[in-house]
Amino acid sequence: MSTLELHGIRKSYGALETLKGIDLDLQNGEFLVLLGASGCGKSTLLNMISGLSEPTAGEIILDGRTLNGVHPKDRDIAMVFQSYALYPNLTVARNIGFGLEMRNVDLTTRKKAVAEAAEMLQISHLLDRKPGDLSGGQRQRVAIGRAMVRKPKLFLFDEPLSNLDAKLRMEMRSELKRLHQMLGVTVVYVTHDQIEAMTLATRIAVMNGGQIEQLGTPAEIYNRPTSRFVAEFMGAPPMNILPTSAVAGGLRLGTTKTVWRCHHPASEIVVGIRPEALKTKTIAGGLRLSGRVELIELTGPEQIVSLALDGASITASLPAEEELRLGQALDLYVDTERLSAFDAETGLRVEITSEHPKA
Amino acid sequence: MEHQSLIFRIFIHTMALLVAVVILAPLAWLFIMSVSSSVDLSAKPLHWWPETLDFSRYSLLFSQSDNSAGAAFMSSLGNSIKVASMATIAALVVGVPAGWAASRNPQLGWTLGGVIGTYMLPPVALSVPLYLILAKFGLLNNVFGLALVYLSILAPFVTWLLKAGFDPIPRDLEDAASIDGARLDQMLRIVILPLALPVIATALIFAFLLAWDEFFYALLFTSNQNAKTLTVAIADLAGGRVSDYGLIATAGVIAALPPVAVGILMQRALISGLTNGGVKG
Repeated sequence: MSTLELHGIRKSYGALETLKGIDLDLQNGEFLVLLGASGCGKSTLLNMISGLSEPTAGEIILDGRTLNGVHPKDRDIAMVFQSYALYPNLTVARNIGFGLEMRNVDLTTRKKAVAEAAEMLQISHLLDRKPGDLSGGQRQRVAIGRAMVRKPKLFLFDEPLSNLDAKLRMEMRSELKRLHQMLGVTVVYVTHDQIEAMTLATRIAVMNGGQIEQLGTPAEIYNRPTSRFVAEFMGAPPMNILPTSAVAGGLRLGTTKTVWRCHHPASEIVVGIRPEALKTKTIAGGLRLSGRVELIELTGPEQIVSLALDGASITASLPAEEELRLGQALDLYVDTERLSAFDAETGLRVEITSEHPKA
Repeated sequence: MEHQSLIFRIFIHTMALLVAVVILAPLAWLFIMSVSSSVDLSAKPLHWWPETLDFSRYSLLFSQSDNSAGAAFMSSLGNSIKVASMATIAALVVGVPAGWAASRNPQLGWTLGGVIGTYMLPPVALSVPLYLILAKFGLLNNVFGLALVYLSILAPFVTWLLKAGFDPIPRDLEDAASIDGARLDQMLRIVILPLALPVIATALIFAFLLAWDEFFYALLFTSNQNAKTLTVAIADLAGGRVSDYGLIATAGVIAALPPVAVGILMQRALISGLTNGGVKG
């Protein structure tokens, strides 16, 4: 059953069009992440779903009901803000119960619901405090509690973790995932952090310039990006992009001697290689890239190695155990199955089949 | 600074003392004048401290017999309280929603600028038109008429002050409240106004003081005990053939009391507002 449908959503501010036609279909219980750099229109889209702003064109449908022109309070949607937006003059308990209070739910039911939500979020001991007395993580929990307690049809999250420090962010991330699995609610979540998107989402919509660049599961987005933009946006360290030139029976990577034997179209192609797809062991049928170690950055579990090729440089994530020295010659191998190819002009993905030399 | 030299500390304390003296000396002299006898006040050289404390002027001003100076003074005190309170309350009733609207719609800022611009006009320039308007509506020598004139002065000022007070309250709070299902009145009453309480209290104090101390329009638009305010009544005390400086000082002391009371009352609101925790949600 589809819960939220967006049809041809556009938003213009004067001559400036920030959203250029968004179509989305969200299933019940899905966790959709809108991912993009700042200014790509993801928060604008979220605000239109919540009713804080109205689309210039297009339709928003929640559970079969058109939401265009409906006041936020009548939409049955809850939202968690980046700033938490807790009411500083009210106690935590009243903050959490605010939505129920506004809907004239009687005090006993309200208290019970608040206590339940607080228990689930482990903030029962904080109910009498004011938001000003809480730490960032606790405030975040209160904000989630406030959204949860009303049991809305749809949860909206607007970069909820970006004000937390790294450790707390990871903790809250797992917490959100756990809550989503437990409650089975439908969520639209906005972030610019690709790790958050990868870990939380059931589906990711990568946005760029007011459009959805790619919509798919985290694995699809990561392994089969439909455009160069998505490929470069996802993953840290980012994907290596090498220009190619057509040679007889294949593509030559950059100015190296490496040739990918394949059937390729006539247009100019660039090839993307994920840093972790590069290995030091030979791969049958794989490509070999030879170069010199230029930079080694140890992150703990792995080392990020910059390899200087002829006229280009690529990054590889290698196990920390590999013993490498600066300046040494190194051969890296990559399975051709893990290469992504894009049209140099349009940036769109091109499917290329390898041609294995007969053994 | 944790470590201050002794000389620096002495310097700071001396300066603080100096400021305190400059502020308090006129008040102290006002009170001393009000309890000195006329003989002490007109003696040469001046008696800085009276021989005997003379509270007769207080009883004179508080006396209620007909046609006495006391009756005139007390009715003007009543008029002042009426006019200043009405104008202040009306200014807040107008200024709170207007200030909030101006704060949330920055593109309306120029209108507020234009209204504040009228402050640049000297009161004299407005006195004739205002007089004609009041005369037309039969509101000359009337507390409501004077309150209306004060409202026209206070409303822009209060709106401007409150706009600045609403500005730092994050919009997210309003968005959150409306998503949580609050109507406009609930959002303002439960979420926004409690946060703006300190600045509302400040606006109230300043508006009340402005109305309380106003002299020029009150002098022009009132003529007898029906509407005459305290500032005009005090001026009348000095206007006769004989000026009793002690009596003027006594009236000044009494005139200072209501604003002090309002200030003390509002100070509580100010402090409670400040201890409610930071605005950062």
